[in-house]
Amino acid sequence: MRRQGLGKILFLVVALALVTLLIVSFIPSPANAQTTEELIAKKVSRLQAKAAKSKGIIELDSIAFDDVLAKPRNYSMVVLFTAISPEFQCAPCKNFDPEYRLVAAGWSRIPDKSKIFFGILDFKAGQSIFQKFNMNSAPSLLYFPASDLSESFDRYDFAKSGFQAEPLANWINMRSGLKIEIQRPFDFIAFSLKIMGFAGTLGLAHFLYSRGGKVIRSKYLWASVSLFLIFIFISGHMWNQIRHPPYSMPSRDGRPGFIAPGFQNQFGLETQIVAITYAVLCGGAISLMSSIPRMDSPSKQRIAVIIWMGVITIMYSVLILFFRAKNPSYPFRLLF
Amino acid sequence: MEKLESLETESSMLMAKRPYLRKEIQLLEQFAAIMSSESSSTVARVLKPTILILIAVVAISSRLFSIIRFESVIHEFDPWFNYRTTQHLVKNGFYDFWNWFDEKSWYPLGRVVGGTVYPGIMVTSALIHNVLHFFNFPVDIRNVCVFLAPMFSGLTAFSAYLLTKELKDSSAGLLAAAFLGVAPGYISRSVAGSYDNEGIAIFLLVFTFYLWIKAVKTGSAFFGLLTALFYFYMVSAWGGYVFITNLVPLHAFTLLLMGRFSNRLYVSYSTFYAVGTLLSMQIPFVGFQPTRTSEHMAALGVFGLLQLYAFAELVRGYIPPKQFKALLKGGIAAVVIIASVGLTILSFSGVIAPFTGRFYSLYDTGYAKIHIPIIASVSEHQPTAWTSFFFDLQMLIFLFPAGVYLCFKELKDEHVFIILYSVFASYFAGVMVRLMLTLTPVVCVSAAIAYSTLLDTYLETSEHVLASTKPAIAVTPATPAVIEAPTAATSETKVAGKKAAAKAAAAAAASAAAAAKSTEADAKAHAKATADGEKKRFPIFNLDSRMLVILQLTWFLFMFAWHCTYVTSGSYSSPSIVLASRQQDGSQMIIDDFREAYYWLRKNTKEDAKVMSWWDYGYQMAGMANVTTLVDNNTWNNTHIATVGKAMSTSEEVSYKVLRQHDVDYVLILFGGVIGYSGDDINKFLWMIRIAEGVYPSDVKETNFFTPRGEYKVDHDATKTMRDSLMYKMSYYRFAELYGGGNAVDHVRNARMPSEGPTLSVLEEAYTTENWLVRIYKVKDLDNLGRDLKDSTAFDKGRVRKVSSLKKK
Repeated sequence: MRRQGLGKILFLVVALALVTLLIVSFIPSPANAQTTEELIAKKVSRLQAKAAKSKGIIELDSIAFDDVLAKPRNYSMVVLFTAISPEFQCAPCKNFDPEYRLVAAGWSRIPDKSKIFFGILDFKAGQSIFQKFNMNSAPSLLYFPASDLSESFDRYDFAKSGFQAEPLANWINMRSGLKIEIQRPFDFIAFSLKIMGFAGTLGLAHFLYSRGGKVIRSKYLWASVSLFLIFIFISGHMWNQIRHPPYSMPSRDGRPGFIAPGFQNQFGLETQIVAITYAVLCGGAISLMSSIPRMDSPSKQRIAVIIWMGVITIMYSVLILFFRAKNPSYPFRLLF
Repeated sequence: MEKLESLETESSMLMAKRPYLRKEIQLLEQFAAIMSSESSSTVARVLKPTILILIAVVAISSRLFSIIRFESVIHEFDPWFNYRTTQHLVKNGFYDFWNWFDEKSWYPLGRVVGGTVYPGIMVTSALIHNVLHFFNFPVDIRNVCVFLAPMFSGLTAFSAYLLTKELKDSSAGLLAAAFLGVAPGYISRSVAGSYDNEGIAIFLLVFTFYLWIKAVKTGSAFFGLLTALFYFYMVSAWGGYVFITNLVPLHAFTLLLMGRFSNRLYVSYSTFYAVGTLLSMQIPFVGFQPTRTSEHMAALGVFGLLQLYAFAELVRGYIPPKQFKALLKGGIAAVVIIASVGLTILSFSGVIAPFTGRFYSLYDTGYAKIHIPIIASVSEHQPTAWTSFFFDLQMLIFLFPAGVYLCFKELKDEHVFIILYSVFASYFAGVMVRLMLTLTPVVCVSAAIAYSTLLDTYLETSEHVLASTKPAIAVTPATPAVIEAPTAATSETKVAGKKAAAKAAAAAAASAAAAAKSTEADAKAHAKATADGEKKRFPIFNLDSRMLVILQLTWFLFMFAWHCTYVTSGSYSSPSIVLASRQQDGSQMIIDDFREAYYWLRKNTKEDAKVMSWWDYGYQMAGMANVTTLVDNNTWNNTHIATVGKAMSTSEEVSYKVLRQHDVDYVLILFGGVIGYSGDDINKFLWMIRIAEGVYPSDVKETNFFTPRGEYKVDHDATKTMRDSLMYKMSYYRFAELYGGGNAVDHVRNARMPSEGPTLSVLEEAYTTENWLVRIYKVKDLDNLGRDLKDSTAFDKGRVRKVSSLKKK
C-alpha cells in the first residue's frame, strides 16, 4: 500500500513536472521577451539622446546604419545618402544639406520624439551601404517605415519635388502621420539686404528724378533695357530658369562641351553664345541702316559696309552651323 | 577737299565704266520710288493689291501640304472637339448648341458644352457654311473646317500689312504681310486641318491691335468701338484674349507715365474698355471674370486711372494752381487708401478670385511643376529652347530687335505699343512653347520695319533720303508740343485773373499756343538736326556697297523662304492621326491605325459603350468613334483624370474595381513598340502615375515604378509594380507571341522583352490594329459563378488551381 502510494506520489510529481515543463516550453519565456523590448527601448532612448545633441540629426556609418535599421523596430527612419566631402564635388549635396537639417530641426518640436529619426549617411562612412542599395547618385533620400519584417522603403524624388525643405516635410508627414513643421531661422542678413536694396532703389529713383528725370526719361536707357531683355528671352533664358541645366559640360569625343545634345535641350553657356550672336547680327543690321548713312566719305562707307556685311554673313553662317549641330538633318548652310 | 574731289571723280568714273549698271540702278530707283513713297501713281495702286493677293495665295497654299499628302482630314486632338461641336451647331442650330449638355464625355459627370467653350471658331465656320449654302454651294462642313485656318491666315497677312503701315509705310507693310504669311511660328497652328481656336485668333489679335493703334492715333470713338467689337470676337474665340486685356491697358498706362496723356488716348481707351468689357461678358465661359479675376484687374485699374487723370486735368482749368496742388495731393491719398482697403476686403471675402493656375504658371515658373502636374504634362506648356525660336522664325529673330530699336528712334504712341508688345511677348514665348504664336506677329512686323529700312537706305537716291527724313524729324517733336499746349494756355489765362473770360479764351488759346509751339518746335528741331553733324544723313555713295547689301539681303530672303517651306513641309504638316513612314525601298507607307481602331469602335460597340483611355484621345474618340468617354482633352476635372490614371497604373484587382464603378466597357491604349511610335502610352505612363499619385497617394507611388537604380524599365529589370500594372499588361499582352516566342524587342524603348508575357484576367483583348498601334480591351463582366476573375480565367485555361477557392466563398 505504502509503496503503491509512494509510487503514486512519485508519478504525480513526475507528471506535474512534465506538464510544467511542457507549459513552460510552450509559453515564450517572459524574461527573453522583456529583453527584446528593452533593447528597442534602449536603442530608442540612445537615439533620442544622440539626436537631441545635434539638432535632430544622427550621423551614421555602415555599422550604425545596420544597427539603427535592424528589425524589428517601432520607429521610422529617414536617411539621407550624401557625399558632402569636397573631393566628390557634389553641389546639390551641399545645397540640400542645410534644408535637410532644417527638416530635422523640426523633429525637436514634435511631441512624440520616439516615432521618427533623421540620419545622414555620408559616402565616405558607408560605402558598403551605398552599394547595398545600388546607389550611384547622391543625394538620395529614403524613408524606412516602422516595421517588423518587411524590407520596404520610399525614395524621395528630388527631380519632382525639388530641394526645398517644405515639400520634403510634407512628404515625410504624409508617410509617418506626424506633423513636422519647418521654422526657417530669421535671416537677418537677407532682411537687412532687402531693406538696404529697397532704400537704395528709392534713393536712386529720387536722385534720378531730382535731376529733372533726365535719366529715367532717356530713350537710350529704356532702349538698352528692352533690347537686353528681348535678347535674353529669345535665346532661351526662361528655359534655363525653369529647367536649371548645367552651365557647360566637359567636351567628349570631339563634341564641343558647350552644345547640349538634343534639340530640346541646352546649356547655360550655349544660350549666352546664341544671345551674343543675335546681338552682333542685330548690331550689324542697325549700323548698316543708321551709322553708315552718317559717314560722309564714300571710301569710309565702302569699308564699313564690307566689314559689317562680312560680320553679318559670318555670324549668320555660324548661327546656322550651330543650329545644324542641334538638328543634324537641317539642310541649309550659308558659308560653312 | 582734294581727297574728296578725287573720290567723287573716282566714283563717277566707275559709273561711266559700267553704263549697263546705271540703267539697272535707274530701274531700282524707280522701283524704290514706287515702293517707299506713298505716291498714288497708278502702278503703285495696282501693284499693292496684287502683291497682297499674291501673299495671301502663298500663305494659303503653303498650308496645304497635309491635304496634298494625305487627305482633307481634321488633325490632332483639340480640332476634333471643335469639329464635333461645329457639326452639332450646323445640325441643331445656335440655341441648341448654346444649351448643349454633352452626356457622352466625362462619364458619368457630363459636360456643359455651351458654357465651357469659346464659340468663336464654331460660329464662324457655321456662318461660312450657311452663307455658302444660301448661295447654293453645297460645301461640306468638314471642308469649311479644314480650310478655315489657311483662309484666315490670308487675312492675318493683310492685317499685318495694315498694322505695319501705321508704324512705318506701306512697303514695310507688304514685307510684314509676306513674313507673317509664311513664318513657321504661325503656320505651326494654322495648317489646313488644324481646326483650332488659334487659327482665327491670331488674325483677330493682329487686327485688334491695328484698330487700337488706329484709335489712339486718331482719337476717334469709332475706331475705339471697332477695337472693342473685334476684341469681343477675340474673346469669343480664344483664351489668349487675356493678352489683349493686359497689353492695351499697359500701353495706355505707359503713355500716361511718359506724360503723353491726351484726349485721343482718353476717348479711345474709354470706348474700348467700356464696350469691350460689356461685350466680353456675353460669352458664358467668360461671364463675370472681367470684373472679378486678377487677370482683368489691370484693365479696370487703368480705366479708373484715366478717368481720374482726365478729371484732374479738367479741374486744373478752374482752380488756381496752389489750391489745385493741395487738392491733387489730398485726392491721390484718398484714392490710394480707398482702393487698397477696398481691394483687400474684396480679395479676402473672395469676390476677387486669385490668378488661375494656367495663368499663374506664367509668372512663377516653378509653380506648375510642383502643384499642377496636369498642366506640366502638356507638351505645349513646356518652356521654349533657343532652337525653337530659330526654327520658328529663322532670320526674323535677329532682325526683330533691330526693328524694336527703330521703334525707339521714332517713339510715337504706336511705337511704344510695339515695344511693349515685343518685350512681353518674348517673355511669354520663352515660358511656354505655344505662346510663340503671340510673339510671331510682332516679330514679323518689327523685322519688316528693320528690313524695309535697310532697303530704303540702300535703294534710295539722294533726293529720296532728304525728302523722307525731313518730315520724319518734324513730326516727332510735334506730338509732345500739342500735349504741353493746354498747360501753357491755362497758366497764361490765370495771370489775367478773369475766370469767366478764361473759360472762353482757354480753348482758343490752347489751339493757338499749340500751333505756335509746334511750328516753333519744328523750326528748332530742324535747326538742331542740321546743326548736329550726327543727325545728318547722306545717301550711300558707292554702287558696289549698295549692291553688296541688297544682294546679300535678297539671298537671306531666299534662305528664309526655303527654311519656311522646309519647316512647314517637314514638321508642321503632319495630321498626326495618319502617320507616314518611309520604307527601306524609299516608298511611303501610310499608317492609319487610329482611324482603323476608332472605326472598329464605331461599328462594333453598343451605342452607349463607355470607353476608357488616357485623356489625350478623348476628343478623337468622341469625334470619330462616337462613344462615351471618361476623360478628354478638356482636362477640367483633375480628380477624374487621376482616377483614370489610377486604373491604368494599379494591379488588376484594384483597377477592376475602378473600372466597374465607372461602367467601363472597353479600354483603349496606344502601343508603339511594334513600329517604334514614341508617343505611345508607356512613354506617357509616368505622367499618368504622377497625376494619379497627386490624388491617390496611398494607391500609386511613382518610386515603385523605378528600378533601385532609378531607371524606368519595361524589360526583365522592370519592377513588380510595373509588371503588375494594367497599362504594362495591356501593352505587352501577347507581344512576345508576335516574335514566335523569342527575341521580342520593344522598338521604342529598345528593350528586349521577356519571352513569357503578362497574363490578363479582368480584361480580354477585343481588337488590335494592323501595326499594333492601338489596342482595345473589353472589360469582363462579373463571373457567373461568383468566382474571382483570376480563378475563372485560370479555370478556363484548364489549370484548376485551387478547388478550395470555390468553397471558401
